[in-house]
Amino acid sequence: MKVLKFGAVWCPGCLIMRPRWEEIEKEYPWLETEYFEFDESKDAVNTYNIMDKLPVFIFLDKKGKEFLRLEGEISKNKLTELITSNKDK
Amino acid sequence: MKKLLASFLSILALVFLAVPSVHAQNNVNLYLFWGDGCPHCAEEKAYLSQILPNYSNAKLNKFEIYFNQDNVRLMQEVSTKMDANASGVPFLIIGDQTFIGFSKGNTDNEIKNRIEYCTNNVCPDSVASIVKGEEVSENKDQKTSPDSSESKNMVNIPIIGKVNAASYSIPIITIVLGTIDGFNPCAMWTLLFLISLLLRFKDRKKMWLLGGVFIFASAFCYFLFMAAWLNLILFIGFVFWVRLSIGAVALIGGSYSVKKGIANKDGGCEVTGTEKRQATFNRLRGIVNKNNLVIAILGIAALAFAVNLVELICSAGLPAIFTQVLALNHLATWQYLGYIVLYIFFFMLDDIIIFVIAMTTLKMTGISTKYSRYSGIIGGILMIIIGLLLIFKPQLLMFG
Repeated sequence: MKVLKFGAVWCPGCLIMRPRWEEIEKEYPWLETEYFEFDESKDAVNTYNIMDKLPVFIFLDKKGKEFLRLEGEISKNKLTELITSNKDK
Repeated sequence: MKKLLASFLSILALVFLAVPSVHAQNNVNLYLFWGDGCPHCAEEKAYLSQILPNYSNAKLNKFEIYFNQDNVRLMQEVSTKMDANASGVPFLIIGDQTFIGFSKGNTDNEIKNRIEYCTNNVCPDSVASIVKGEEVSENKDQKTSPDSSESKNMVNIPIIGKVNAASYSIPIITIVLGTIDGFNPCAMWTLLFLISLLLRFKDRKKMWLLGGVFIFASAFCYFLFMAAWLNLILFIGFVFWVRLSIGAVALIGGSYSVKKGIANKDGGCEVTGTEKRQATFNRLRGIVNKNNLVIAILGIAALAFAVNLVELICSAGLPAIFTQVLALNHLATWQYLGYIVLYIFFFMLDDIIIFVIAMTTLKMTGISTKYSRYSGIIGGILMIIIGLLLIFKPQLLMFG
């Protein structure tokens, strides 16, 4: 499983999510994540159709297929729950 | 016979001495422009009703301006003729002297002195030619307790004791509206981007200086806008439709804020104006990377002005409503400016906190969008309430 994180430096909600993800990444070192800055990653933004809202978190399975998309500020508990329950995907 | 002659001469002398004093009682016309619902107007009317029965030569002509457009035009005409710059009501003219506003202990004495002066001396009736044929006087006895308005505002707070709620209302409204407006994310994105650029520097002094200049210039730009808007409102704010329009803006803006806040359950930031944002970021990058500090400071200040002027459209609702509330309260100039400064301080407070945290911890932080959401909903509800009051019960927003 891999998580793509889309955010922007001008978006307060994205800044709020940064330390939450840092903690999760420390707790789950096996989790692969990749961050895309909205204004600097046009290809990824277009590929994943990031349009109206930030931050966006896209969960990909082993085959690289999107199986979950979250938008806005998400609690650490909810993220942890989703990560552990989809660990084998 | 001598006694009779002396008595006759004495009576004659008395009659001749008395005659001039009777003739000295000149007719005095008072012209009062007032608003239905304006508390200072009510005070002044009550005062005039109290004293005018003592002056049979005085005649009060009243002109209501909140609900009568003809009287508004008349007031503007009179104000221009008297060179009075009457930006609000009550506006009273006695002879060639004008009285704008009413405060017990000051204006009342001045009015009384003026009536007495014009009773005993000839005062030019400067506006008679303009108001001829308009509404005529109706000197009703309106006896109110002089302290009634003050006593009804007294609130008993445990430990502190009795406080006058009216005197705290404007500061509280200022702080609440300023804080809510501060959560408006419109102008925040530029500051966050600037902080992200500044954090790449190792020069702390430069970081503090450029960030500080940006915040100060943003505040100053907002101050200029609000002061200009207040002057405009003071100039035309007494016009009925202006108050109605601002009330309507408050209702529409407030409803939109509430709707948006309820819909945006997950929080998050809206992605809009990408090209404009990119252009601003490129300019910021160029400015921050300048080696010449003076040019960088000037560039940051200019950019802060430009960004805030553009973003004003996004947040002008609350400042416009706030300045209208201020204008309704007929304050001294220093009080108007003081309240604007207080509003801007609370408006900028979240920016200052974010900047100081970033500069001291060297990490970026944001205020959770859930707070922007709540403040949007609360601010929206407040705007709706103020909008309704501006339209239907403006007197409730006059706290004096």
